[in-house]
Amino acid sequence: MSMKKILFVVFAAIALGACSKIETLLDRPALTTTVDNNFWRTEGDIRMYVNGFYPLYFEGYGKDWDQSFAPVRGGTGFCDDFVSEGTQSRFENKVPTSRGSSSESRSCYEQYYGPSWGFGRIHKVNILIDRLNEHKDNFTEEAFKHWMAIAYFFKIYEYSDLVGVFGNVPYFETTVTDLDFDTQYKDRDNRQYVMDKVYDMCDYVLENMRADDGANNVNKYVAAAFISRFMLYEGTWQKYHDGETFTHIVYTDANGNKTNKIGSGAESFETEVVCDGEHAKKYLEMAVKAAEVVMNSGNYSFGSSFKDLFVSETLAGNPEVLLYRHYDDALQIRHPIGSYNSGSDSGSNVSLEYIKSFNCQDGKPYSISTVSGANDFSLANLVKTRDPRFFDTFWGQVNIKSNSMIYCYKYAAYEALDALFKTGDRLPNWQGIYNTNDAPIMRYGEVVLNWIEAKEELAESYGGAAVTQTDLDKSINALRKRPLSAAAAAAGVKQTEALQLNNLPNDPARDNDVSKLLWEIRRERRMEFLHEGSRIKDLYRWYKLDYMDFDSNPDHYLGPWVDCAKELGNGDDVPEINKNFLNQRVNVLTVQHADKSVVKYNGTNAADMVGFYCVRNASNRETFFDRSYMAPIGQQQIDDYKMRGYVLTQTENW
Amino acid sequence: MKNFTKILLLMLALVSFFARIPALAAPGDKVTGVVKDAKGNPVIGAVVSDEAQKAYTLTDDKGVFSINPTTARITVSCLGFQSKTIAVKAGQHVNIVLEDEDTLLDDAVVVGYAVQTKANLTGAVSTVDVGSQLAGRSIPDVGRGLQGAAAGLSVTLPDAEVGSDARIRIRGAIASIEGGASPLILVDNVEVPSLQVVNTDDVESISVLKDAASTSIYGAKAAFGVILITTKKGAKSEKVTVSYSGMWSFENLAKEYDMAGVNGLKYMLDAAYRAKASYNLSADNEQRTPGKYPTDGVRVGSYFSTDAEAYQRSLEWWSKYGKGGSVKELGPNDPIVYGRDWYYSGGTNYGVRIYNIYDYLVRENAPSDQHSVNVSGNTGNTKFNIGLGYVYQSGMMKCTTDDYTKYNASVKVETDVNKYITARAGLMYSQREKRYPLIAESTSYSPWLYLYRWSPVFPYGYDEKGNIFRGVFSEATQANTASMKYNYNNVNLGLTIRPVKNMNIVADYTFSNQEYIQLLPGTTFSAANWKSTTPQPYLDDNGNQIYVDHDGNPVPSTAEGAEMAYFFPYQEDYVQNQDIHFLSRSHENSYRHTFNGYTDYTLSLANAHTIKAMLGMNLSTYDRTGQTTRVADLSNYENPQFAFGTGVWTGSGKASWESQVGFFGRLNYNFKDRYLLEANLRRDGSSKFPTNLRWAWFPSFSAGWRIIEEPWMEPLKQHVNTLKARVSWGSVGDQTVSSSLYIPQITTGQNSWIGSSGALSSYASTPSTVSDSITWQTIKTMDAGIDARFLDSHVGITFDYFIRDTENMIVPTDGINTVTYGASAPKANLGSLRTNGWELQIDGNWRFGNGLGINAMFQLADASSKITAYGETKSLSDWYVGKTYGEIWGFQAERLYQFDDFELDENGNLQLIELTAADTNDPACIGKSSFKLKPGPNGEKPVYQSYFEGSSFHFGPGDIKYKDVDGDGILSRGTRTTDDHGDLVVIGNETPRYEYSFRLGADWKGVDISIFFQGVGKRDIWGQGPIAVAGFYTSDGAMAAAFADDYWTVDNTDAFYPAAYNMGRDTGVDSYNYLKNDRMLLNMAYLRLKNLTVGYTLPGKISKKVGLSQCRVYFTAENFLTWDKLRGLPIDPECVTGYSMWGSNYAQGWTGVGTPVFKTMTFGTQISF
Repeated sequence: MSMKKILFVVFAAIALGACSKIETLLDRPALTTTVDNNFWRTEGDIRMYVNGFYPLYFEGYGKDWDQSFAPVRGGTGFCDDFVSEGTQSRFENKVPTSRGSSSESRSCYEQYYGPSWGFGRIHKVNILIDRLNEHKDNFTEEAFKHWMAIAYFFKIYEYSDLVGVFGNVPYFETTVTDLDFDTQYKDRDNRQYVMDKVYDMCDYVLENMRADDGANNVNKYVAAAFISRFMLYEGTWQKYHDGETFTHIVYTDANGNKTNKIGSGAESFETEVVCDGEHAKKYLEMAVKAAEVVMNSGNYSFGSSFKDLFVSETLAGNPEVLLYRHYDDALQIRHPIGSYNSGSDSGSNVSLEYIKSFNCQDGKPYSISTVSGANDFSLANLVKTRDPRFFDTFWGQVNIKSNSMIYCYKYAAYEALDALFKTGDRLPNWQGIYNTNDAPIMRYGEVVLNWIEAKEELAESYGGAAVTQTDLDKSINALRKRPLSAAAAAAGVKQTEALQLNNLPNDPARDNDVSKLLWEIRRERRMEFLHEGSRIKDLYRWYKLDYMDFDSNPDHYLGPWVDCAKELGNGDDVPEINKNFLNQRVNVLTVQHADKSVVKYNGTNAADMVGFYCVRNASNRETFFDRSYMAPIGQQQIDDYKMRGYVLTQTENW
Repeated sequence: MKNFTKILLLMLALVSFFARIPALAAPGDKVTGVVKDAKGNPVIGAVVSDEAQKAYTLTDDKGVFSINPTTARITVSCLGFQSKTIAVKAGQHVNIVLEDEDTLLDDAVVVGYAVQTKANLTGAVSTVDVGSQLAGRSIPDVGRGLQGAAAGLSVTLPDAEVGSDARIRIRGAIASIEGGASPLILVDNVEVPSLQVVNTDDVESISVLKDAASTSIYGAKAAFGVILITTKKGAKSEKVTVSYSGMWSFENLAKEYDMAGVNGLKYMLDAAYRAKASYNLSADNEQRTPGKYPTDGVRVGSYFSTDAEAYQRSLEWWSKYGKGGSVKELGPNDPIVYGRDWYYSGGTNYGVRIYNIYDYLVRENAPSDQHSVNVSGNTGNTKFNIGLGYVYQSGMMKCTTDDYTKYNASVKVETDVNKYITARAGLMYSQREKRYPLIAESTSYSPWLYLYRWSPVFPYGYDEKGNIFRGVFSEATQANTASMKYNYNNVNLGLTIRPVKNMNIVADYTFSNQEYIQLLPGTTFSAANWKSTTPQPYLDDNGNQIYVDHDGNPVPSTAEGAEMAYFFPYQEDYVQNQDIHFLSRSHENSYRHTFNGYTDYTLSLANAHTIKAMLGMNLSTYDRTGQTTRVADLSNYENPQFAFGTGVWTGSGKASWESQVGFFGRLNYNFKDRYLLEANLRRDGSSKFPTNLRWAWFPSFSAGWRIIEEPWMEPLKQHVNTLKARVSWGSVGDQTVSSSLYIPQITTGQNSWIGSSGALSSYASTPSTVSDSITWQTIKTMDAGIDARFLDSHVGITFDYFIRDTENMIVPTDGINTVTYGASAPKANLGSLRTNGWELQIDGNWRFGNGLGINAMFQLADASSKITAYGETKSLSDWYVGKTYGEIWGFQAERLYQFDDFELDENGNLQLIELTAADTNDPACIGKSSFKLKPGPNGEKPVYQSYFEGSSFHFGPGDIKYKDVDGDGILSRGTRTTDDHGDLVVIGNETPRYEYSFRLGADWKGVDISIFFQGVGKRDIWGQGPIAVAGFYTSDGAMAAAFADDYWTVDNTDAFYPAAYNMGRDTGVDSYNYLKNDRMLLNMAYLRLKNLTVGYTLPGKISKKVGLSQCRVYFTAENFLTWDKLRGLPIDPECVTGYSMWGSNYAQGWTGVGTPVFKTMTFGTQISF
């Protein structure tokens, strides 16, 4: 039996020894992640967290197939610049079944060129604000304020976007906790309340953000530039939508507080004003102030051609660019936006209406310009006679890959199109999803245009100082003085003459509710920002959605002036990609003569096929209404609130 | 199905002919007989005795005996054989066949840390017949051999890629929304990373533990069942046996590659004509009417298009050069000729020739072979087993390296050190390597997808200049070979101490290590490049333009129909990007320490009570690290090495660890082998939980009642050999969840923003949202079962019914407004799930006097799971309470619309009208345009489907008419909640139900034959992609022949598939004719002849002469016949959409477009010395 005893002792020893080790053995925390509490120690930690916002907000040309807000592919096509074959794409025409996301990702809600309904990014930024406050002791005051300003910047960005799309939205000051249902189910706050919060944060940002936080990082000037954009938007919105209201049901609870919790006390309808002049003035002044922070820094100027802003392999050192997204093939950070503009990708393009909005080189619209060829709408002439931005944006030959025959190549190099049209070959670096030209995120050009517009609006309506010739020279005229691109210079294109306050063009096409100067400022924006997503937002804020009714101007359905036999026939000088197109479009292809008569190609009347190209089957979009200025939220979300005993109010008029 | 019924009837007839129940003999009369072994050789020296042990005798050298029994039954026993007791009659001459002792294992079942006799088992445990499921089958791993091997064990093979693992589930497709569902796989009580590390021929036994009472002893990792494998430990008797088995196989596609040819072009064009008709707003009624669509200017197809003219040329081509063509049948080796096979016009390339990509990509008769050597012996106090295995399997891709190789080696030694101590040690090694062409790093467009992507006019092969054409064929030919290699080894040491009789102390320690290396060498591709160049005029040697006719023959330019010839420039290295210009190597190392120790003690009291007690512990730790190195661009792709790297270097790493400890006790009580009780208790700790939640108790109980052993059952005992009722209940904790559920974690890494330093930015994520009140999920299983054997144990039945509750299931916290909360709701233990199921197994075997043995096995099992708690949601797309897992909601399709349903105008054309309240009761349709329908028979307003139309799609003749199930005159999905689901009904379920298998086998005089069928009685899926959805992205062009051959046209109005329409390529198709509906639902039920084996064992006399103790040769066929209900679609019925060993989003998430499933024909031999 001694054997038994020995074994017993041995086993007992092992068991005892083991037990003490076991807890240690089971203590195996995650190796590759950090627990929330153990983070937020240094500026380095905060910077890493903030880096998470960069690709989210500064999408530029996107990455690979992920290109939600990117030019050409993202939502930039929905506006009055472009025409598509068939029926034009419509505004949203019914309340969606569901609209809401908890995700951080930021996908483009095309009709509004903004984010959809969801507060994932607000959660992300509120976490940063809360954690900075919790771990305040880890930072110097300067650092703390800088990073808080950074956090506010992204919160400003997100709320400005959300208000831009939906109007009233719920405002969340701090992180919403999982059991705080009253906050989770709060109703939408008045947009003025939200934008006042934004306004206060703008002040903080301009006050406290570092002027330099390393190259190509968000700093005071970058933030100020964006603030000028957001404040101009909301300021003009408040002006042009003055007097708009919002009606919602409220309940008065036992303490006399108003709440959206159903059944608590008396039910009443409450109507609030959401737009007024007072706020317009306040926001426009902030827009001017912010723009001036940038302009007065002396850090920025117009040192490159318009073309180089969009097709350069690097924007480092470009004095016009405040922030850009860099692409690098070696790091596999690439985009396809250049390819979509490289001549062989098909798509929608601008209409004659847009073409006509371009200034000629004397700084006047075609109708009153004295430049020779002002009334010649053939592409070869257009690129030579219009503002140089035309040359840098549109190819000077017909391209059948565009459904209006005029082809935008703003985001591809001149050489790419040149090679394609001369040899039929595509240059390898302008193909596929492997483009590496840098994307400007914020450029000085926008700052000065925001500034001059805000200034003029203040001057016209809110007693601001009048715009002076010096102001024009700092803004619009500075843009017109940009160096010409090499190709444009070689083609004999000239810089556009400066805008003179004492000799403002009087465009016959001008809306009579818009002053001459404001009209020219708006024109400048349209020439400058094609495909950058701002046009539809401009229409919303200016209360000019009627421009989207294409029947109001038949030029929307036309392209440039085309000589089909010469440009689309099978002659030797017809570029390979256009060759024989005419014969493939028998009984389809139509042009409109100068006398407005329309002729269809029947196989034999090639000689008669000279005129404005008629975009195939193009017809007006579905009727839209005033409600289209703001987006509806999902029925599901309203029902969800109801199921939990709260009211969520639908967007006005939906 | 008919064939199979015939075979079944034949087998049943055989059974009834041979099976006779012997009558009783009167005591005291002489009985004679011959005793032979299973191979028909006489058994010499066998002891023959009566039941009273009064009379006994031995068999002579011919196996003959003679005895005067005092009882009605005699017993024959002999060393190395199973004893056998039979009833005899006076004067009877009996032929007795003794079975080899090895098969005794049938009665001993390996359970958790013990071996139990089948008769005394109280839990739900199935054993796998290793002999027939694994031996001699041309399957590369044990996992595939388990399909159909045990009721309730669901093995699916959703991926045919060689080297992939089978997907294994026990009792139902889901056990928890949050956790895993894979069973714990143990080889000699040690968890293995894959069943492929085990050499098939080393396996001695496999048990499948299904209920909590059986699995709970294995603790928290065993929540979803356990597959327990033991390996061979050495011979049982003093001898050394060397055996060899080898097999040589050929693989071919299991299902015919039946894709559309010329008909597909017609479908593409019809769809395009229709789109044009709808698109053209000015079109009059006539142009919108099927059969009258305008065709001019319509061109369709990516890269190589077709239009009305090209289609005519394709038809002409087919009659001249297609199958049985009038001129000559062109094959894959014939060059691509301009004019005949394609042409260029107006900036567009048109395809004419009909290619079959199968000829270019799929290898026929792909060879495979397997060899295994086993040496086992027993000498003195030591026994050992050495196993060596080799498997080579070809993949199905023809033009490149595509294969799988596996080596296994194992050694087991066990020795009795002395009377008290047995020591054992073992080594196991396995290396497996999968090699495949690296065409692109991402598998979202797998090369196999191209079997199902482009239209039939898309060219493959070589052009007239001898240049290879760009495409999957050229890239598969030029690709470098990627490999995935696993090196696995484990070493174990063990000790059994028997301090006193009936007591064992067992301790085993195992260290195992797996190394994984993935090598991805990029390459350069060069070809005649149609994709990024325009065709160039084809000049002759003198620089003159060549003109050709429609047969591709050069003709003078003035000849009638002469066309200018073109060619595509050859381009070197045309893919100028890092998708292919790189070299990457990943390395991962994981190791595991496992210690199992237990002691048991058996106490027998008064010959009636047996008590067995066990106490033990187990411990396992797992550590894993890995990293990847990658360089962009090499200077040399012929020999892709890091030394040639010229681009940017990148790398990443990962690390994880976990550990589990458990203490357990078990008590078995057995009263007179009649009443059996077992209780288990386990205390588990897991590193995945925070300290305060780390430990938990899990009890389980089971009981068995061997009814037949009751004295009052004596009269039945002649007929019923075993009858036992079992019940069990137990709970097991599940820890397969992620630890991030408990701890708010921040992940860090690099994102896609390039900082000013030129490097990617480091970022830190938003901390995860967690609930701190979370705890273990508990899986509770109640099982009731019956085991019975009849007719001298020839026939057995086992039936189990179970209810498995997943309690405290981790689900998102209910009520959180995630939209404003801004993150997904933290998860908490608020859900539950119930799985109900049953399993039936019937087996039978007979050995007749003349030596004929037959056996049969049938298994059937079913399980389904329902959500029993989740939250308040009623949404059909969410986990509402009452939802059956896998259910598919959709419309019922009534039929296809015909012209007769529509109000036609005076010219017989459809009329597109804008609907008003006068036309329809459906407010959602008012204001929308639809083709005018006829009113109902009593003048009621017709049910318009306008709400489901698009701007270019209006329901017309040939489209699906959905059923207004609730009869309210409105076709609606309601709010898609359980309260309001309009006309939506449950149309199917995507989990496999009624999984069954059966085996029939017979052997006689050395010839053996067995057939094994396996099937799924019910499974539906809503398919995706070009071979599941008619009209799926027709501009790409490929489609199943079944669609192209039977879609609605004005000439084929009773077609099954609706009128042609381009459905686009969105995954999750749920629109137009493919609004989820029962007509287009794919019925994935099938029956498959998994294995057919015919073997012949040489008579012992002959094999002994050449020095062999046994020699068998055989032929086997795997996957040879399949019956399914897919209407000829080339989809394998076992496929799971988007599932692949390469990870998710494989092949765009399209159904059935992955690696083609193959069938195998094998010749093999088994020899032992």
